Amino acid sequence: MKITGYRSELYLMKANRAVGDANLPDGVDLLPGSILYIETDANITGISLGFGGGSVKTLFPAIEGADPREVVGLWIKMNDWVHKAGNEGEANAALSAIDIALWDLKAKIAGEPLWKTLGAREGRVKAYASGLDYCLSDEELFAFYRRMAELGVDSGKLKVGLDLQADLRRLGIMREALSVASARPQLMIDSNEYWSPKQAVRYIRQIEEKFDLVWVEEPARRWDYDGLKLVSQQVAAAVATAENINSVADVYPLIANQAVDVLNVSALHSGVTGCRQIAHMANTYGLPVSMMNCQANFMAQVAAALPNHNMMEVVDPGREHCLKFSSRIEDGYIVLGDAPGFGIEVDEAILAALQKNPPVGKGRFPFPRRDGAARYIVPPAPGEVPWRRGP
Amino acid sequence: MKITGVKTTLFRTASEQRDRNARGSAGTSPSHGCVIELGTDAGFVGVAISSVAAPAQFKQITDELLTGEDPRCVTGLWQRMVSASYRGGPGGFVKGAIAALDVALWDLKAKANQEPLWKTLGGARPRVNAYVSGLDAQATDAALQVAVSALARKFGFRGGKLAVGLDPDADLRRLGIIRQALLANTAEPELMIDAGQYDSPKQAIRKVREIEKHVDLTWVEAPVRCWDFLGLKRVSSSIRSAVCAGESMDAASDFLPHFHCHALDVVQVDAASVGITGALQIADTAFGFELPVTLSRSPGNMHAHLGAVMPYCMSMEVVDPVLLGGVFTGDVRIEGGWAVAGDRPGHGLVIDQQALAKASGTDAAAGRVA
Repeated sequence: MKITGYRSELYLMKANRAVGDANLPDGVDLLPGSILYIETDANITGISLGFGGGSVKTLFPAIEGADPREVVGLWIKMNDWVHKAGNEGEANAALSAIDIALWDLKAKIAGEPLWKTLGAREGRVKAYASGLDYCLSDEELFAFYRRMAELGVDSGKLKVGLDLQADLRRLGIMREALSVASARPQLMIDSNEYWSPKQAVRYIRQIEEKFDLVWVEEPARRWDYDGLKLVSQQVAAAVATAENINSVADVYPLIANQAVDVLNVSALHSGVTGCRQIAHMANTYGLPVSMMNCQANFMAQVAAALPNHNMMEVVDPGREHCLKFSSRIEDGYIVLGDAPGFGIEVDEAILAALQKNPPVGKGRFPFPRRDGAARYIVPPAPGEVPWRRGP
Repeated sequence: MKITGVKTTLFRTASEQRDRNARGSAGTSPSHGCVIELGTDAGFVGVAISSVAAPAQFKQITDELLTGEDPRCVTGLWQRMVSASYRGGPGGFVKGAIAALDVALWDLKAKANQEPLWKTLGGARPRVNAYVSGLDAQATDAALQVAVSALARKFGFRGGKLAVGLDPDADLRRLGIIRQALLANTAEPELMIDAGQYDSPKQAIRKVREIEKHVDLTWVEAPVRCWDFLGLKRVSSSIRSAVCAGESMDAASDFLPHFHCHALDVVQVDAASVGITGALQIADTAFGFELPVTLSRSPGNMHAHLGAVMPYCMSMEVVDPVLLGGVFTGDVRIEGGWAVAGDRPGHGLVIDQQALAKASGTDAAAGRVA
């Protein structure tokens, strides 16, 4: 079987609700969408929800004519292909998108779901709810986590960082909402690199006086292994990070310097192959990994096969309008079923309609950083978020 | 597809190969050991050749943890086997049994796909830089010279490894003989020595420095005990050549102190110790630490399948370039100094049932197995 061609479709998706964090507290609902198809001479097509884009063109000659089942070797070849330069940003995203499509093909050729191709025993992954919720009112916040709790999800991660009193109140709301799933819900917070390390320590210690936190995510910059280590040493919660870095090379200083306690991984950034490498490296150090959120929770297929995966982020803002999939959340787990590959199909008519008439909404891509970050906190202005009423 | 059970057959062939290092222990030659055949309801049989002569362990693990499971779920099943033994740790016979069953499961996964193992693993180019080893079996310098010259000529080896440590003069002389033979294929032969975990760190440093005065070494293998990361690091910082160790470790996690303290320069992996699943984990970790991986000897040189998916696979040990008179045949060719995996489904080891029957008689199986 040979790779013969590819097709990359870009579109805009409008989520059913807005998502926001410390950097974008007012939220966005317009998100960039990308679908990469890799075609073969056997009439089987690999589908990837990775950020394909223009850089696929640079990499495609490295895989054209190859057997997609040789995906790990092709991952190595693509990395060597762009060794010297032009291997970050969009090129890295494209490489990862291609790798995802190739794994989809490999599993489809074997006629099995990807979790089985990767060797997992079960197609299910523990989920945690993540509201990306700074833009939600207290009522909406409760409704989101209660809906998740009713699906059995007993863990939640709150966006924090700009207003300690509000964050404390909202942590209580999240815990209350999740309490129908567990008497002791697992609570996490995420400040998306908004703090300096010592700001983080002060802020988190104050939260820890009232709440037991499982992890604090990105309490310092993604590459700042000294700062992340400092935070980890001074708070009880685990430090989670790495969602914005790409490879074992990137996580090496974090792991070697004991700066990270939980690694956030994503096939969108590392491909399936790179994700597994990071997980294996973390596993050697006894560290768990946690898969990032994504459309249709498709990356749960990968998470299911990682030996040290703890739980996967589920946001579910409603952004699958042009996708067909069969995974579902049940008893707190993402349940994958037996559809071949990632189990994702594209509704081409809806995709074409989205491309023809792009939805209108609030979008700011690439996502910016908020003023004051790592220096001083700029709280939400009146009216900027629903929980801070206007004058 | 479901696993139905396991059949184990102890064997010992007449052509037992001597394999002595400084410690004097017998190695894991495929001329004796245990054949594992994992049956399925689909008719596929997963094969592994193990030095673990513990039929009861194989049966217990299979009955309790594998029977009724789909072998394609191999990494999950590996996790299940390792977790089941977490209390005592997967050491000794248990480690070897889990590793062999993991190899048989991967064999089944590839056979179910009707493709060679290297492709199931995702490899694109199934070849690994091979070096010749097991030369210490040659009793005299003359015999060594004849053997290594023939091997170099026929298989194109550019590297060779000698077990050393008991007679420094003989070690140097014999390294010279190997180097001379390999010069037929390359101007810069790769020479490795295996010290068999025999020395203390300072002993090792003195011995290696002495050799390094005369010969450029690619690595020194197992200069001290494999768990002694402080000693390994000390040796590495005192000699020119790389320090290599790892084939007898029990799991990826056992390498934690070695990685963390930069005690190894070359990470050695053996699927007979950690399974294919564990070997891939170690290789990925080594890649993260920018460390090359080398594969140890393997039955039928089946490690060649694994090298294809290890981003920093440096080399692979070959003791028997061709299999003669054994109980199985393989599908890895050694040519031009490369170990090249073929296209037989699975890892390519096929049991010769007639030879196995002959080699598994009561007398044959009674002997000591490493």
